[in-house]
Amino acid sequence: MSAGTATDRTWRLGAALMTTVLSGALLTGCMGAMPIPRSALNRQLEQAGGNRDPSLGERWLALIQQRGGREQVQLLDLQRQLPVPLPGLNRPDALPISVSTDANGDRMALVRQLGGRSEVVLYRRSLQSLQPIAMAPDSIPTLVNLRADGRQLAVQVSRNGLWQIDLVDLP
Amino acid sequence: MLRPPRLLPLVCLLPALIGLAGCGDTGFLGGSWLSRRQAPPGALGAGNEQRRDPALSGDGRLLASISERQGRSSVIVQEQSSGRLLPLRHLRGHGPHRSPALSWNGRYLAVLMQQGMQTVAVVEDRLRGQLLRLPAPAGARVERLSLAPDGQTLALQLVQGGQQRVQVFDLSGLLEPDRAGGRRVSDPPP
Repeated sequence: MSAGTATDRTWRLGAALMTTVLSGALLTGCMGAMPIPRSALNRQLEQAGGNRDPSLGERWLALIQQRGGREQVQLLDLQRQLPVPLPGLNRPDALPISVSTDANGDRMALVRQLGGRSEVVLYRRSLQSLQPIAMAPDSIPTLVNLRADGRQLAVQVSRNGLWQIDLVDLP
Repeated sequence: MLRPPRLLPLVCLLPALIGLAGCGDTGFLGGSWLSRRQAPPGALGAGNEQRRDPALSGDGRLLASISERQGRSSVIVQEQSSGRLLPLRHLRGHGPHRSPALSWNGRYLAVLMQQGMQTVAVVEDRLRGQLLRLPAPAGARVERLSLAPDGQTLALQLVQGGQQRVQVFDLSGLLEPDRAGGRRVSDPPP
């Protein structure tokens, strides 16, 4: 009798263990790998208001942030979780449309609307300089992607009613 | 005796310089002429092809973009030098796609993919031929993505509760780093 009870207990324990292991394996298989949210940073971004158009460097995140009824470009240092100043980039009469940063967070390309026209500009944080990039006269830029080394720009343009991509080599 | 003005050659050159600036294949930036060209076509005979959402690999070798033909939007990756399209093991025929991103050497291609009513972010590891699916946070719709050049961080632009917001995810436990000067990936393994 006592031997039978001990056997039952062992079976029950084994079955429970097996069920736990199998459920875990099935759950993992169904869900796949999960990325880990950067919770503190995400909370900070959420508190700041609406954000769009993210562009990641290796330790930098550029985005367009809605603040006080207008949108402006921000660059966050992902290690310190702090925005860095971008003197000369944002202006109250310009509407940012698309932003892209290089890997080092030094060069940033921006499509913005100014005076009813869309233009592409290149910002260099280390020089605090902003330079316009001439596009073909028949094209309207709508989106930019800056190469991680900052030496080339891919621009989505609307030309003759079609979406096309222009590539610009940068010095 | 009248001497010809010394500025005459410069005056003659001006119309040529203005013409160059307007011809569509050069631009001017900070004292340097810039080379500008159109991306090579994504498909042979693609007269009515549209291209959008460009993404360059960090080493500049590859260009990913969305090719739109006959109402279908598919991600393509091509070599800049030759225009050659590179095969994508997991993504072909699983559109529509949008918002692609490439890592430094083009090992990782991240893109948004429609699966039924859901948009999911996926990362194709072109070196190992594997696909990583990254489910969106509950109750959120994914609009755009950005992959860090080393493939260790992903940012998603989400719409949740009617508001656009950006969330950042750590992929370092899921993907090996693809750093500058690392191994180039031309084709996935057979």
